Formats: sequence, structure tokens, C-alpha cells
Amino acid sequence: MTLAPAPPITAALEVKDLEVVYTVRGVDRAVLRGVSFSIAPGEAYGLVGESGCGKSTTAYAAMRYLPSNGKIIGGSVSVAGGDVTGMSEAALQRFRATEASMVYQDPGASLNPSLRVGRQVIECFTLLGQSKEQAQVSAVEALKRVRIAAPESVLERYPFQLSGGMQQRVVIAMALACNPKLLVLDEPTTGLDATVEAEVLDLVRALRSESDAAILFIAHNLGVIRSMCDRVGVMYAGRIVEEGPSRQVFDDPQHPYTVGLLRSLPRHGIRKTERALATIPGMLPLIGTDLPTCVFLDRCPIASELCRTVVPPIVPIGTAGDRFTRCHHSDRLGEIADTSVAVAITMFAPSDMHPDVLELSHVSKTFRQRGKLIPALVDVELSLGEGETLGIVGESGSGKSTLARTMLGIETLDQGGELSLDGKHLEGSTTNRNADAKRSMQMVFQNPDSALNRAWSVRRILIRCVTKLTGIKGAAANERVEQLAEHLRLTPRHLDLKPRQLSGGLKQRVAIARAFAGDPRIVVCDEPTSALDVSVQAAILNLLADLQAEKKTSYVFITHDMGVVRYLADRIAVMYLGRIQEIGLTDDVFKGPHHPYTEALLSSVPSVDGETTVRIRLDGEIPTPANPPPGCVFHPRCPRVIEGVCNVTEPPLVEVSPEHSMRCHIPLDELRRLQHGA
Amino acid sequence: MSDFEELVPNPGEIISTPGADTFVPSTTNSAAIIRTNDSNEVEMGGVGQVSERKQARRENWRLIRRRPSFIIGGLIVSVWVVCAAFGDRITPHHPLDFRAKPHLSPRGGFPFGTDSTGRDVLSRVMAGARDVLKIAPMAAILGVLFGVIIGLLMGYIGGRLDLVLSRIVEAFLALPVVLIALLAITTLGNSDWVVIGVVAVLFTPVVARTVRSAVLAERDLDYVTSAKLRGETSRFVMFSEILPNVSAPIIVELTVRIGYAVFTVATLSFLGAGPPPPSPDWGAQVSDGFRVLSAGIWWTTFFPALAIASLVIAVNLIADSVQSVLEGS
Repeated sequence: MTLAPAPPITAALEVKDLEVVYTVRGVDRAVLRGVSFSIAPGEAYGLVGESGCGKSTTAYAAMRYLPSNGKIIGGSVSVAGGDVTGMSEAALQRFRATEASMVYQDPGASLNPSLRVGRQVIECFTLLGQSKEQAQVSAVEALKRVRIAAPESVLERYPFQLSGGMQQRVVIAMALACNPKLLVLDEPTTGLDATVEAEVLDLVRALRSESDAAILFIAHNLGVIRSMCDRVGVMYAGRIVEEGPSRQVFDDPQHPYTVGLLRSLPRHGIRKTERALATIPGMLPLIGTDLPTCVFLDRCPIASELCRTVVPPIVPIGTAGDRFTRCHHSDRLGEIADTSVAVAITMFAPSDMHPDVLELSHVSKTFRQRGKLIPALVDVELSLGEGETLGIVGESGSGKSTLARTMLGIETLDQGGELSLDGKHLEGSTTNRNADAKRSMQMVFQNPDSALNRAWSVRRILIRCVTKLTGIKGAAANERVEQLAEHLRLTPRHLDLKPRQLSGGLKQRVAIARAFAGDPRIVVCDEPTSALDVSVQAAILNLLADLQAEKKTSYVFITHDMGVVRYLADRIAVMYLGRIQEIGLTDDVFKGPHHPYTEALLSSVPSVDGETTVRIRLDGEIPTPANPPPGCVFHPRCPRVIEGVCNVTEPPLVEVSPEHSMRCHIPLDELRRLQHGA
Repeated sequence: MSDFEELVPNPGEIISTPGADTFVPSTTNSAAIIRTNDSNEVEMGGVGQVSERKQARRENWRLIRRRPSFIIGGLIVSVWVVCAAFGDRITPHHPLDFRAKPHLSPRGGFPFGTDSTGRDVLSRVMAGARDVLKIAPMAAILGVLFGVIIGLLMGYIGGRLDLVLSRIVEAFLALPVVLIALLAITTLGNSDWVVIGVVAVLFTPVVARTVRSAVLAERDLDYVTSAKLRGETSRFVMFSEILPNVSAPIIVELTVRIGYAVFTVATLSFLGAGPPPPSPDWGAQVSDGFRVLSAGIWWTTFFPALAIASLVIAVNLIADSVQSVLEGS
């Protein structure tokens, strides 16, 4: 890692006082308000910040890919010494073909679905002037370079026949075709599973050592940026408010915004029983808002009169000359009150002290698809205590959502299984459940945009729910809705708006309000914060914890975010291919010894704390449930597989210590030695 | 690199992201984004109390009104509506009176000439608007109504019902519309209601198919799941939850169908299944006139045919502008 920011050679990317506006309905709205940074050849520079802060716009401006209503009104961008801002169309085309490449968030959308991969990769090379034959050879080489094992067969396939990770590799191979001086990665792993993300990040890391391309890495995930980038710029409202070597910035932030951002993450293994998460008060200013002085002014806890009148200067930090913050009061950061104070209310102790609300025994769910049987859930045994949070983790395709939908009766479980609520038999299908059972179990969905009827006002959504679930009608229902809204910190004004007029966080509050409309016993939360920014996520997680403490509601919390599940869950179930592989108290599952699959999941998460974890990698992808491997379903990917045992018999789910069960042939002590002894 | 040309960010997404308060994550479906229009202003200006639905409607209406195709189409349609409303009160002559020699070519006093029995073609064309405008919109509205109901059932209930109805719809679509209509009208008699009913039934399958595909995109969204979780009936989910969200394609379909209905009704009366002879119906006039076309008497055919064409084109121009605003094409 080289930390020297001002290299003697020409910077690979030099952005100076860049100002960009978007013209919306005839009015120019400022998006970038003077962004400056430079990246040396071979260096990786990260841009972080919440949605709407201008990260992507910076990248698009650097490539001159701004949408038709966006224009650069000031400043300059130069790549390897060539000025990009003033380039003609022809020069721009040459520049994009040979100097700089970009990789986008959704690899599926970056590849043409109706052309074979080969044709698309080969085209990259023919565009560079190679002959058809040469290009064919180069394409195979390019795929080898991104560690694709059988490049010839991948070239023959269509994009949809490849997994997400494989598609992203192909896209990266195409981006690297011209040996670019600058590679822009815009949220390259955001839509991918943690295990696949780890794989792609490993690849990028390996490629860095092979090429001298400078990397501009954009991500909202601070852990990813920390593990990938030498230096990082923290953006807020179209300006870089803090810059420096990533480790220093994340360990010792020097701008109030960075401080707030880092504090709102569930880190260092903190739990809801210990403290609430910190949030940043207020909201990101609207695009185009006039922000004459400090952009963070309105949300800053230590803002003074000086901040209102004088633009904060670039304040160098330390003596190395590679760090700065744009704050008048970086010496007063200690005064920022830590809002993440210890929670006064005591949360619930482990589940065995509480009566079980929901019990699942021998629950299986088999789908039928074109005559084939697909077991999506296999013999799941679970119980959920009153006021308890059960976290469910696993890769996509592991059966997490099917489990949730089966509990709720959206999917009907197979014959032979049994659901019970408060000790009484619970019908498998929602339609057959009585009013009380319906009221008792509700759900908060992942994407509030699809979960709220966009033709209805918030008030109508909530009133309908109150009426339907509790039987309260008319004015009384309206009154209850207003109470409910107040409880969830929604203002009466929000009630008369349509969902699309609300921000993501507010929409999710409405969705939670809806779930709580009938005082449910159990709320199933399916990735409720994965579409939200971290500071908003913190507020939602706090809200869920508060509601639980007050109403003794039980949660089933599905997530792929290990930090979140560790913060919120009392117990965790790890699922793989429709089976529970490990279940236990949160501390036991996190501290180990864990099931090898859990171990892999945990070690694939890049941490913003920079804690070094034993990294084991999973090869390949989750097999199709239609055709599960023999023996232990995890054995083909298991790094600790015992040949002759694991591939023959499926291990049962056995209690390895009190309240902690797993499905593994390897004895607990052996696992402990393997995982902690090293 | 050519692939990257397609990867320019969708400008719509960025336009509709004026800040955190109204931020729409990129996972949102584009329909929601496109229809954002001015609604952001509500949040910004704090005018929140104005009914937002009314405001969105007003905004759509404003956008539609601005389009030249709507203005031209609207003007033509209004001319015919006025003709239909006032009929023989504004025609220069009574449409049924024999006023002059037969087959007079266009001239002063008879700008469109006279027909085979000496009636004024201009007056008959003006009065003829009434027959078409009485039947076509009604037929289209009924057809869309049936189509919406069937389409909702097919899309939402799905399964075997969808399978059966889909086959029936396909069978209907394979039938020659005009022949079936003629057959039905000869069997049932040619009152206005029979014509309306027959045209409506013939339109139903097309509308049902459009609505079905719109419903399919909605029914797996989580708000529908949420409605099921609180035990809503299928009828409620279909008509109160899903219907308002598929209204845009339905309105578009309605305007398009009115155009088709004008065309179908004129064809039917051309073939003799329209109002009986003395009536100044456009299709009947064309059918009267075209026999003498070879003798150089063009005006008895040309003007009613032009009337039909102008109305169909005008309605299609309106349909087109409604579609491009509502569906953002």
C-alpha cells in the first residue's frame, strides 16, 4: 500500500473543482459542488457516502457518461494527463475504448442477454483493431485472466446461463480488455451474495497486483472500501468532506459526517441489549439546495456561527500531507454526543425463559415445477420465544424466504409437518387461518416500494390494515392510525402522502406501522434494511428494537448482513439448501466453533473495523435444490470435507452444546481446533 | 466497448432523485419513477394537503393537453361531436329532404354535391356523426369493462381459470370480427343495442389480454402478499388494490378501442347491418355511393369516407398522446 498522494508522475485520474448540474424541469440543480481528488497509477481510491451524495455522478462525469440532462459547468477531469472535459465525440470514443473502463452494479444488465458471451468479449478486442482470429485468442486469455476455469465453454454460453459472480468476472474481463489506465468500479458487488462478493473482491485485489490501472471504487459498503482501497474520499452533498488513507479515515474519522456514518453501523459485535445505534439527525439536503458554506451544516451536532458564515477550509490532518477534512471544528469532534447510549430498557434474556410463541416441527416445503419435485425446505425444526428475535442467514437460494413465507402461510407446508401458535395447531395456509392467527403474524418486506400499494395514501394503507385486523372502524380506526404513526415517528403530514413521495426510510416505517397495526405476536422481517442507507438503517433497527422491548413482539429476521443480525438477533439459524445447518444463541454462533458454512459466511464479510478473520473461501455456487448432493448437502463446497463420510451420509442436526445445534460430521473439538487453533 | 453505449444511466432515475427525502432506490420499477412528475414538489413546497391523486391527474392532463397530436385530434373530434349533438338543427338542409336534382357535383349551395335522390351530401355527412358517436364510444366502454373484469380474473386468479379463459380469448381473436358481427346482427336484429353489444363482446378478448399482462406484473408484488396476509378477499385485492395500479394501460386501451369501434361500426353499416336506409349513416352512404363511383360521381362516396377516416384518425391521435403520457413512451 502506497500512501503518497502527490506522485511525481502524471495522475491516472485528476479531478479538479468539478461542478455538475442536472437540469430538472428547466432548472439547473447542483449535484457536484467542487469535487477534487487525484488517483495515482496503480492506486485504488474509494468514494463512499450515502445515496444521493454524488458518488456515481462523479464517476459518470469522469467517463463523460453523464445523462443528457447532466452537464459539467466547472472544473476539469483529466485521465492520464488528457483532458476529458473538452474532448470531441470522436476523441471521447477513442478515450473510452483505450484509456478508461467502467464496471457497473448489475452485471446482468451490462451484458447483452441475446448475444453469446464470446461475441461480446471478442467485440471488445476487434474494436481495438485486432483481427477476428486474434480477438478470439485474446478473449480466451482475458477470461483466464479473471480466473475463469473453462474460458472456451463460457464463451459459448449466453449471459443468463452464468451465475452473478461469473457474469461480473466477464464484465471485468471486458473492462480490462484495453489495459485501461483507469478502471471505475461502481458498486460492483452490491447485488451479489456475500460469498460471491468475496470472490469478486479477491479477483479485483489479485488483478491490481498484475496491472497498473488506477481504480476508482464506488461503494456504500464501508467494509468493502476499507478492504479494497488505499485512500478514500467521503462524499456528502456533492463535496468531498474528508479524505485520507482508508485505514486512518475509518479508525479515526476527522469530519462530523464520517463520525456519524461510522457510528450508525452495528460494529465491533455490539448487541441491541448493550446500546442503541447512533443515527445522524435530519436528512440529506435535496439536490440543488443552496448550501453556501458547509454542506453538512444542518445536520452537524457541533456547528457554530462560524460554519454558517465561512466556507470551511481544507484542514490538513497529521504531518504526512495525505489527509484532510473540510471542517472548522475538527478539534472539537470529541464533543459530538454519542447518541448510541446504552439502552435503559432491559431486553429479553435467552428464549428458554419465555414461552414459545411459534413452533415448527418437521416442516418441509416441496415445490413442483414442470413435473419435477423441488424440496425448498427440508425437515425444519424451530421454535420462537416470546419477545425473541431469531435471525435467519444464508446465501440467496438457501430457503430463508421460503421458510418465512411458509410460517406466514403464504406457502402451504407439506403434509406431515406441523405449525403451532401458542401451543395450538396453526393452519398451513393463510386463507384457512382464523382472524386471530392472521392478526398475530405479519410481515415487513425487503423492498418498501413494492410492499406499499402505490395508488393508496399512507393513511388508507394503515386504516385498511387496522380495520381488517382489529375490526376497529371509522373515526376510531383513524385515531388508532394516528397513534400508530406517532409511535413510528411519522408526522401527520406523511399520512396524506403517497408512498412514492416518501424517502426509503419513511416508506419502511410505514411498512412497519402496517405490520404492527393489529398488535402482532410475531413479525417476520425479510431484509428490511438492505435497500436503505446505513444511517437510515440504524434508525429502523433502533425502532424495531424499541417496539420489541415495548410490545414483546417476536421477530423472525432474515438478512445477509452479519453485523445487523449480530446486533438484533437473540438466536441465529444458518440455512443452506433448505436445511438448518446451525442454530444457536447469537454469541455461540459468532464466537464459534461454527459450522464450516457459517465460518465461510462470516469470513466473506469485509469488515469496516479491519478485524482480520480467518478467511476461508467457498468455491462454486449453491447447488439447485432440485438435485441436492448426496450426503451432507454442503460437502461439495465445504473446505473441511471428510471424504468417505461427508459425501455419503447426511449428518443430523444435533445439539453440540446447550442451545447450540449443528449439522456436521466433524466433532466440535475438532472444529474448535481448526477454527481457533490456527 | 460498444456495449457500454447502452449503459448510460437512465436519465429518468436521476431526474427523479432530487434528494434524500424523495429518494427512490434504483430497485424501484420504472413505472413508479416515470410517474413521479411533479409530486416531489409536494414534499419540497409543503403543499402536502392538496389531494395528491388530484394533483397527479392534473399534471398528466396538463402534459396531454400540451401535445400537438392531442390538440389536432381534439379539434376534429369536437367538430363531429357538435355535428352529432345538434344534427339537423345546424345542417344547411334537412338530411332527409330531397332538395335538388340527383348527383349534382359539388357547387355553391351544395358544397359536397347531392346524392342519388337529390339529398345534400354535406348535411347528411354532418348528421351522420350522430349514429357513429352514439354507438362507438358506448361499445368501446362496455368492451373495456368486460375486458377489465375478465383480465383481472385471468391475471390474478390464474391457474386453470386462466388456462381456460386464455384459450377462449385466443379462439375469439382468431374469428373474423366483421363476419361474426354481421352474423350476430342478422340473427338478433340490428337495433343500436345489438350493435353495441356485439362490438363490445368482440373487443373484450383483446382488452382482457392487455389487462391480464398488466395484472401479472402486479400480482407478485409484496403489497398483494400483504393484503393476503391480512385476509383480504380476492375481489378486494383485484378491484381495490390492483385495479388502481393498472389504470394507465386501461385508459390507453379505452381510447384505442374507441377508434377501432368507429371503424367497425362504419364497416357494419357499409355492409348493411347499420341503421336502415333513410338514416344518414356514414357507412350506409359510402355503400350507396360507391356503386356510381365508376361513373365519375365521386363525391357521394368520398365525403362520408373522409368523415369516417377523419374521426378514426382523430381518435387515434388522442389515444396516442394519452398513451405517451401515461406509459411514458
